[in-house]
Amino acid sequence: MELLIDGIKKAIDMILSGDREVFAITWLTLKVCLISILISTFIGLPLGIFLGLTRFKGRRILLLFINIGMGLPPVVAGLWITMLLWRSGPLGDLTLLYSPTAIVMAQILVSLPIVTSLTCTAFQQISEKMLLQIKALGATRMQTLIILIKQLKIAILAAIMAGFGRVIAEVGAAMMVGGNILGDTRILTTTIVMEVSKGNFDIALALSFILLSLALLITAALTFLQQRKRIS
Amino acid sequence: MLRKRYFTVLFALMLLVLSACGNTDTKDTAAAKEKKTAPKPAPTEMILATTTSTQDSGLLDVLVPMFEKENNVKVKTIAVGTGQALEMGTKGEADVLLVHAPAAEKEVVDAGNAINYKRVMYNDFILVGPKENPAGVSGDDIKAAFKKLADSKATFVSRGDDSGTHKKELGIWTAENIKPAGDWYVSTGQGMGQTLQVAAEKKGYVLTDRATWLAQEKNLDTLQIVVEGGKDLMNIYHVMQVNPEKHDKVNSKDAEKFVNFMIDSKTQDVIEEFGKKEYGQSLFFKYTE
Amino acid sequence: MNPLVELNNITVKAQNKTILDIPEFQICAGEFLGIMGPNGAGKSTLLKVLAFLEKQSGGEILYRGKVIPKGNVPLELRRKFSIALQQSLLLDGTVFHNIAIGLTLRKLPKGDIKDKVAHWLELFGISHLAKKNALYLSGGEAQRVNLARAMIVEPEILFLDEPFSALDFPTKIKLMEDFKGIIETARTTAVFVSHDLMEINYLTNRLAIIVNGEVKQSGPTPRVLEHPNSSTASFLNEWKKFYPLAR
Ligand SMILES: Nc1ncnc2c1ncn2[C@@H]1O[C@H](COP(=O)(O)OP(=O)(O)OP(=O)(O)O)[C@@H](O)[C@H]1O
Ligand SMILES: [Mg+2]
Repeated sequence: MELLIDGIKKAIDMILSGDREVFAITWLTLKVCLISILISTFIGLPLGIFLGLTRFKGRRILLLFINIGMGLPPVVAGLWITMLLWRSGPLGDLTLLYSPTAIVMAQILVSLPIVTSLTCTAFQQISEKMLLQIKALGATRMQTLIILIKQLKIAILAAIMAGFGRVIAEVGAAMMVGGNILGDTRILTTTIVMEVSKGNFDIALALSFILLSLALLITAALTFLQQRKRIS
Repeated sequence: MLRKRYFTVLFALMLLVLSACGNTDTKDTAAAKEKKTAPKPAPTEMILATTTSTQDSGLLDVLVPMFEKENNVKVKTIAVGTGQALEMGTKGEADVLLVHAPAAEKEVVDAGNAINYKRVMYNDFILVGPKENPAGVSGDDIKAAFKKLADSKATFVSRGDDSGTHKKELGIWTAENIKPAGDWYVSTGQGMGQTLQVAAEKKGYVLTDRATWLAQEKNLDTLQIVVEGGKDLMNIYHVMQVNPEKHDKVNSKDAEKFVNFMIDSKTQDVIEEFGKKEYGQSLFFKYTE
Repeated sequence: MNPLVELNNITVKAQNKTILDIPEFQICAGEFLGIMGPNGAGKSTLLKVLAFLEKQSGGEILYRGKVIPKGNVPLELRRKFSIALQQSLLLDGTVFHNIAIGLTLRKLPKGDIKDKVAHWLELFGISHLAKKNALYLSGGEAQRVNLARAMIVEPEILFLDEPFSALDFPTKIKLMEDFKGIIETARTTAVFVSHDLMEINYLTNRLAIIVNGEVKQSGPTPRVLEHPNSSTASFLNEWKKFYPLAR
């Protein structure tokens, strides 16, 4: 209990005193997570829509892999990205290992399947009749797509939120591919792990509150967008 | 038709963040902290593989910025288990290693995977145990203490993570011809800090480096030092360069500078000074050849 | 009379089964064509083919005497038709938004859309619902919105697939009366699939009976009802047993 209060106090202290290091770590966390989810959305949304609305050979197998990918343990993603980026690996020449880009890559790997699969599920539930009706109203393919996206706004934002939740909570992969380098790849989750291992529970707790606030803020913004203006 | 705008707003928001990320290069935040220096050519990058306990002590937070400033190098410090650090060296995934497991290091050096192998410093291991000390161990003879622990089957918490500390512990068991196993022998597979926590919870004995112990003592009020000071408990650190002849992407220029930096007398003074203010005693001691 | 849409040797197959086989069939301007037949006969499929919403497997479809290449229906042609189905299939949004959608998609100026929507809301007697969410309407209200949505684009042909079958009797009668007036004023050509002889009798002036994917009989509604031929008699006489209203 005492520790909890200490942690909250320390968190407020850290934020109010404008601790540079904490600020830098928080900012990096925000950046890395938003870029990851942004890219996942830009790829996952069209891919999910495509998979949800079309039927082709091999689609089910593809969906199976994507659904398995939803449960991909972050450390596995981390391990794969690490091996890919090793100096001796296929992308070694890019020297991306232990950089924020590497973290983004790992986070895309774990969040893309979530965004894709949940989007696909939403679009798959649109009935054949509804598609026919929209087409019959005189919609072009593009217009149909826009109508559907608007209709499924809630589900799409839920998919993005789920992906974001995965990304911001992720630590195993970020640790492995980022290396937790101070001022470079140290993000909130990896710092928390490090501080716990050092026994600095108060700092870890304070950081956990900052992380939670961050997650809360973003999720609240998305929820607001999702639930806005529902006419009755 | 208001609804049309939701997505536009959402994407605009995300684009904004993206562009904000675009113009503040990530390196800026790092550089800002180390106070902007005069315009210099872009720093070269060097990967230092070291152990978690070394990083957790905080020593590198002092030494690395010093080295970076003097040599215009960006050091990427990767803190992992000793086993992984040595493996990174063998694979050429790191440029320079700072570790503390002499026997394992020797293999790497003998195989020609590491060169320019230099002794840097030492600190010491200690055996901590529950305040009640049910096995009744004391003094400075760690081997005798381990034998007693095994005989009395007192709870012993091992890191079990292939770290330098773990290797040290296994070395002592082997020297005494004991195969530690059974209910009393708990293996955490985690870092020193967590292992100490587990020991405190389970009221077990645990072999730890002194630096981590001093940093965490405040959280571990069920534990105390029971054995310390013997020669067998010395924890010796070596620095070495990854052999550039084996891997063409290794940055040997900066690695060599780092080895020299670590054994430089000025650096050695900093090492011995480190921790005195906070704990009233040194955490590491000069120990060059 | 020149036919608007003409089918020539049309077949539709699904999984090697022929579900529609029509040597010739026409829709003429100004008629209210009824289509009846047992479940699974192919009525909805025929409707979709006529509206260029489903590709035929064989044969050709002509619009005003011109063959329309299969799978390459010009958007302007598609936009000459509209459709209302049994389920109202409204979108999440206001009633106004739902009725406006056809015009929005055709990129009409906002002012025009507003005026037209107001007009059609009035005609269907649902002006008071304009600001309600369409998903919360009753079945009768929803069906009025559905029909208004189809009519507002002033289609050359309106296709209807059982639009009244889920309504209770009084609601149905009221809506059908309103609808008949509206369609007669607008002089819209209509194709109307239904299972209800009363609806057919009240609305249509020509009737086609479909059984097993084939048009078995077609002609002026009273004549078909009074003189079923050998292949439609069994279907129509079942009806008449329970429904003496049919002349
Ligand atoms: N995509 C499809 N794949 C396979 N079979 C189909 C497909 N679409 C329609 N059918 C079949 O074609 C036949 C005609 O279907 P259709 O929907 O046109 O019947 P209907 O006359 O409208 O029946 P109802 O009165 O029940 O509405 C049915 O047997 C149906 O199962
Ligand atoms: Mg039907």
